[in-house]
Amino acid sequence: MIGPHELMKEHKWGLQIRALSLIRAVTFFAVTFFVICCCMPSAEQAAEPTKPPAYNHDIRPILAEKCFRCHGADSAAREADLRLDQRKSAVVSRAVVPGKPDGSELLRRVTSTDPDKRMPPADTQLTLNDREKELLKSWIADGAEYQEHWSFVRPLKTPLPQIERAEWPHNAIDHFVGARLQEEGLAPSGEASRRALVRRLSLDITGLPPRLEEVAAFVADGSDEAYKKVVDRLLKSSRYGEHMARYWLDAARYADSNGYQYDTERTMWPWRDWVIRAFNNNMPFDQFTIEQLAGDLLPNATNQQRLATGFNRNHPITIEGGVIDEEYRTEYVIDRITTTSTVWMGLAMGCARCHDHKFDPLTRVDFYSFFAFFNNVPERGNSGFAPKQKAPTFEQEQELADIATQLAAIDKTLEAIADQVAEQQAQWEATASKRVRQQWQILSPTEMASSGGSTLTLLDDQSVLASGAKPSNDDYELTFALSNPKITAIRLEAITHESLPHKGAGRAFNSNFVLSEFEAAVVENGASDKPVPIKLASVSADYSQKNYEVARSIDSNLGTGWAVDGPTRKENATAVYLLAVPLALPAESILKVTMRHRFGSTHSIGRFRISVTDDPSFNLPADVAQALAVAEAKRTNEQLSALREYFIGHIAEGEVGRAGRRRAELQGRRSQIESSFPETLVMAEMAKPRETFMLIRGQYDKKGEKVTAATPTFLPSPPGGEKIDRLALARWLVSRDHPLTARVYVNRLWQQLFGIGIVRTVEDLGTQGEWPTHQEMLDWLAVDFMESGWDVKHIVKTIVMSSTYRQSSIVTPQLLKRDPENRLLARGARSRLPAEMVRDNALAVSDLLVEKVGGPSVYPYQPPGLWLEINNRPNYSKAYPTGKGDDLYRRSLYTFWKRTVPHPAMAAFDSADREICTVRRSRTNTPLQALVMLNDPQFVEAAKHLAERMIVEGGDGLANQIGRGMEIVLSRPPTGAELEELSAYYRIEHGLFREDSTAAERLLSVGESARNQDLDLTDHAAMTSVARLLLNLNEAITRQ
Amino acid sequence: MPLNDTFLLPTRRHFFKRSAASIGAVAFSQLLADPKLQAEAAPNARAKRVIYMFQSGAPSQVDLFDYKPDLAKLHGTELPASVRMGQRLTGMTARQKSLPIAKSTWDFKQYGESGLWLSEQLPHIGTVADDICLVKTIHTEAINHDPAITFFMTGNQQPGKPSIGAWASYGIGSANDNLPAFVVLLSRNTYTSAQPLYARLWGSGFLPGSHQGVKFRSTGDPVLYLNDPAGSSPQARRRLLDSLARLNQLQLDQAGDPEIDARIASYEMSYRMQMSVPELTDFSNEPESTFELYGEDARTPGTHAANCLLARRLAERDVRFIQLFHRGWDNHSRLPVEHPKICKEVDQGSAALVKDLKQRGLLDDTLIVWGGEFGRTVYSQGALNGTGYGRDHHPRCFSMWLAGGGVKGGMTWGETDDFCYNIARDGVHVHELNATILHCLGIDHRQLSYRFQGLDQRLTGVEEVEPVRGMLSS
Repeated sequence: MIGPHELMKEHKWGLQIRALSLIRAVTFFAVTFFVICCCMPSAEQAAEPTKPPAYNHDIRPILAEKCFRCHGADSAAREADLRLDQRKSAVVSRAVVPGKPDGSELLRRVTSTDPDKRMPPADTQLTLNDREKELLKSWIADGAEYQEHWSFVRPLKTPLPQIERAEWPHNAIDHFVGARLQEEGLAPSGEASRRALVRRLSLDITGLPPRLEEVAAFVADGSDEAYKKVVDRLLKSSRYGEHMARYWLDAARYADSNGYQYDTERTMWPWRDWVIRAFNNNMPFDQFTIEQLAGDLLPNATNQQRLATGFNRNHPITIEGGVIDEEYRTEYVIDRITTTSTVWMGLAMGCARCHDHKFDPLTRVDFYSFFAFFNNVPERGNSGFAPKQKAPTFEQEQELADIATQLAAIDKTLEAIADQVAEQQAQWEATASKRVRQQWQILSPTEMASSGGSTLTLLDDQSVLASGAKPSNDDYELTFALSNPKITAIRLEAITHESLPHKGAGRAFNSNFVLSEFEAAVVENGASDKPVPIKLASVSADYSQKNYEVARSIDSNLGTGWAVDGPTRKENATAVYLLAVPLALPAESILKVTMRHRFGSTHSIGRFRISVTDDPSFNLPADVAQALAVAEAKRTNEQLSALREYFIGHIAEGEVGRAGRRRAELQGRRSQIESSFPETLVMAEMAKPRETFMLIRGQYDKKGEKVTAATPTFLPSPPGGEKIDRLALARWLVSRDHPLTARVYVNRLWQQLFGIGIVRTVEDLGTQGEWPTHQEMLDWLAVDFMESGWDVKHIVKTIVMSSTYRQSSIVTPQLLKRDPENRLLARGARSRLPAEMVRDNALAVSDLLVEKVGGPSVYPYQPPGLWLEINNRPNYSKAYPTGKGDDLYRRSLYTFWKRTVPHPAMAAFDSADREICTVRRSRTNTPLQALVMLNDPQFVEAAKHLAERMIVEGGDGLANQIGRGMEIVLSRPPTGAELEELSAYYRIEHGLFREDSTAAERLLSVGESARNQDLDLTDHAAMTSVARLLLNLNEAITRQ
Repeated sequence: MPLNDTFLLPTRRHFFKRSAASIGAVAFSQLLADPKLQAEAAPNARAKRVIYMFQSGAPSQVDLFDYKPDLAKLHGTELPASVRMGQRLTGMTARQKSLPIAKSTWDFKQYGESGLWLSEQLPHIGTVADDICLVKTIHTEAINHDPAITFFMTGNQQPGKPSIGAWASYGIGSANDNLPAFVVLLSRNTYTSAQPLYARLWGSGFLPGSHQGVKFRSTGDPVLYLNDPAGSSPQARRRLLDSLARLNQLQLDQAGDPEIDARIASYEMSYRMQMSVPELTDFSNEPESTFELYGEDARTPGTHAANCLLARRLAERDVRFIQLFHRGWDNHSRLPVEHPKICKEVDQGSAALVKDLKQRGLLDDTLIVWGGEFGRTVYSQGALNGTGYGRDHHPRCFSMWLAGGGVKGGMTWGETDDFCYNIARDGVHVHELNATILHCLGIDHRQLSYRFQGLDQRLTGVEEVEPVRGMLSS
């Protein structure tokens, strides 16, 4: 986190810090709990600048740190009307007199010994050291040239520097790195071993270690193309997209929960899957950008493009009762600005919320003009989940398209044999309609009761009419004597009547009814008098109101029910309840029907009739039965179509039947898919945009001047004539003139592959960010990225193909002293695996990993009680629902991410909390990590299965088995000393487990998966101990 | 540059030859050799450690700490508009038609030689009245729980910033070699509609992840993943670690990366933690007098009293920042019934901790902080009758108390107006409180910064604030 100015200031103690952090590492708690890896010095100071001071590199950092607070861009904070960040004003005010340090007030002031005159003033606690004063002096003497900040100028490809080691460079990267090394008097390291390279490539490109056969193939491949072949294979793997997405999810603050205090669940995984797919398909980064920032505004936006905009809905959303809507809505917009500017521009725009940026040329007006781009979402602050989109996932979309194609083909077939169809259907209808008319036997109740005291009257057509009292809730109980006690279905007709409100069928004031539950029971003649409930398997109706489907009358939930849009529809409605098991009772048995109306306000059925049928084969859907009951000439179009659909799908025979059955099956699958579309949060634009105001001190309720959407003025403008909206913003970010986007993303890719960016502060390429170690290389790669059509795989490949990347990562004492952080790249990079990879690696080497791409997030093991321990609110909170089977062994990017209770094994390894955008994680080394690796059931279980592999695949003899384990975990065979150590360890463990088989059994019972019972218990347990040891090796969790 | 030698030194030694003491000495000299860190480990630190008893949900200062006997006369009358001055209210009472004043539900008594007025609901805290500094004029900017508690703990209302304990760990590190620098203790929740907590309250934000608070739990493993897997034993663990260290050493010899050494050390540290935590959390060697002091609750893990006792044991072992959380103060209704319950849960343990540290000579260098994320309104939420009413959130003035390392005992800081609604004098903003806590630890809050998002981020925000010197002992 040290900017260039600090690097200079801390030239001396930078190394001390490094030293200290290592001391911390070895003493640990004694000084602090861990190694701090982020305040290490850059290579910048490894070499003393010998060139004359340049403004950007040497001067601006001093001025920015010491002077700009009061004499910079922020007009509100400006003192003495003096600006030093612009040459013109600095010169006009004679603070700087080019060529004349002695005549420059700036130098006079900073070197003054008079405390009243000396700058910076004492109360700022800032001072300039001699070196800084010397630099200023020499810069002024040279003419005091100002420069634009490097990253705000369009990048160019400079000619590749030639280097003495002409054979070393593989591509442009090596020219830049080699030239710098040459300048520093350093030589690159030799190429890493093949085994190290294939492991490095696999971990870097796919996030998983190589399989044994992949290592062997590369080791055996003597061709010139061998390395490239591995790279190409890995870039094609779908694991690549998962791995790349994982970094993007941090940046996008993706989570499966809403954050803030209640932190309830949200569905955003389809968005996560969109990202994985985009990387796997190598979607060009410009398109990737546009779709995520403004996919909804693209002409004829597809579902997938709208889904992509979930990027800027991934921020936390509160549901806390007392919050003020506008306060939180404002925070959401600001989150979008911070995230978008960090992810694409490497700028900390958030600073300008309250003031003009002190250092970067970013004003408050810029900030709120940027705010306006994201201020038009039709959203709220409290529970602001809308706008949402219910859309098919990519897989669903594929399947629907496939179904549509198949259906079209079937329809074509049916079309061709239309005559056959019509003939068959006519025959069926003739008999079926006759049967339908005779099918139902209307029952006449022997007893009728209303729990609410309504009067129930039997009418001539054997229907029952309710009148009199108007109870809020009412249960009708009806008793019928069965003359034909065979029943396969019960029909309930709700019938309109003149006496009922608005002449409808319901008793409610609006003529509706809600049948909460429909129950039936029988009293079998000869058996006990106690009614036995009849299980109703399903129900269909000719009409149901939305959200009051008839199935809700048999869902055992009195809070739901069947309704029929009474207010707008005053018609009869029929429901047919199918019995789970047909009844065949002795004669004189009794049927009891209970109709429960619990909606309140007299939402009872006003007139109804009950019928039964015993037709075993004739369980027609209600609408079909209804249609058949109507005379042919009187059937409506819907009824005709219902008959045809039903006939083709269920009745037809021969060719028509085959096609029809398949058709019905496909239609069923289609509606199943359509009803299961996940609903995700998406961006949308209000028809009439909100007005945007500058907020005084950034407060939501203190509005200042009005502004309109615009990009920051210090950067190139978008093309004129275009509507300035989010889409224009997205296009502007990926225009060839934009100086930042390509640099920022390439720099992050570099960080991903080397552990540290060319600019360490990947989140800040502005004036406060670190100076690039290899600016020309970064620029070259950025231009190349754009020229390649924003081809991400191309850049990844370019980097990993370089000789720089392929160097051995062995650290020599000389190099460690000279360049402890390897900023000059005289060796290969090495670093501890990120949290997710630590776990994925263990799953992979134990063959437990389930490689399914995408889908809802899963719940691997976690210690019990963690969620409810802090997220304790009834109705909002729940216990962690630990998964089963495959779900325990998915890659870690699929682990359900709850923002306020992150998975502890991930948090221990520096995972991002996903509450805000994170583009750089810390990398620490703590005892808690050791505890996870040693004791988390996930790792113990992995050891159990790794041990199985060692025994089964290793073949005879301990040495072979241990060798196999090393090969699996480290992609290399053990050394003699290692083999000796591990064998000795095995023998001791073996001896002890032989004595204590209970301990062996207990160890091997950790984890849900069973052990391989074919293996000897003692052997297996002892080998599991060895496997635990292997998984805990530093090398096992290091990319080197 | 001699430092390079010292930093390579340990890597050349065999792990088992290392002596903790010698490394400690090297580290210490290192610490002093660094000008920045020298400033951090300032000799004027009054407290070596902090115990922060956070009362989540917000206790009512009207009923507990800020004695306003005259409110009895105004009981049931409307809060004058001149007092409220159009101040924003939460979404919960913004639409309430009447805002009737509700006097304190309980009587107040004077305690100690200092004659501190405290509610009769806090008799035990009363017994340490002469050791505490009651601050009546804390004020905050947030009016809802999540932003308010996040503000207290991280200096910012929105997520993303490090917690105060993480800052302390980052700034001055750990003072012991087998426990984390920053430990978090949660009381088991007893009140169904208590506000949830969140990991960010003890998170490390943009600081290295190693500074996040380590939760000690009252059920299951006291520290997550502390216990060996089934079928393993401490001896087996030792054998594994020894073998692992030898193998990692082989790797270090070959690859030369000092981080390997750090990893070896981290495993050793985990072993020491595994050995020391069970002893730490085992109260069986505590004499009866301990339970007389802390109350019988202290025998039940996960109570506030048990956590206070555990906090004392952590303090004895030089854990730097001990953060307690107790939930349940958010009584929007039934306050007269609920507040006494929760007072009973926290009163004795809180006071016992002060007394216990004092009798052990630890109070002088332990700073104790006690309070919630805001106060509660003087007017009632809901109709003011019977015991059904409650109080809404009140950010403009509320009470906290501090004791021990660096603060004056037996004093009251600040005065509120007659309505316990506004500050009359000597307000203490959250940032000022945090600056004061850091000051007691010997840290200049302006110097404790970390570059993130282009800013030198501080716990105490961008505006200039000062520690409240009037509260400090000389």
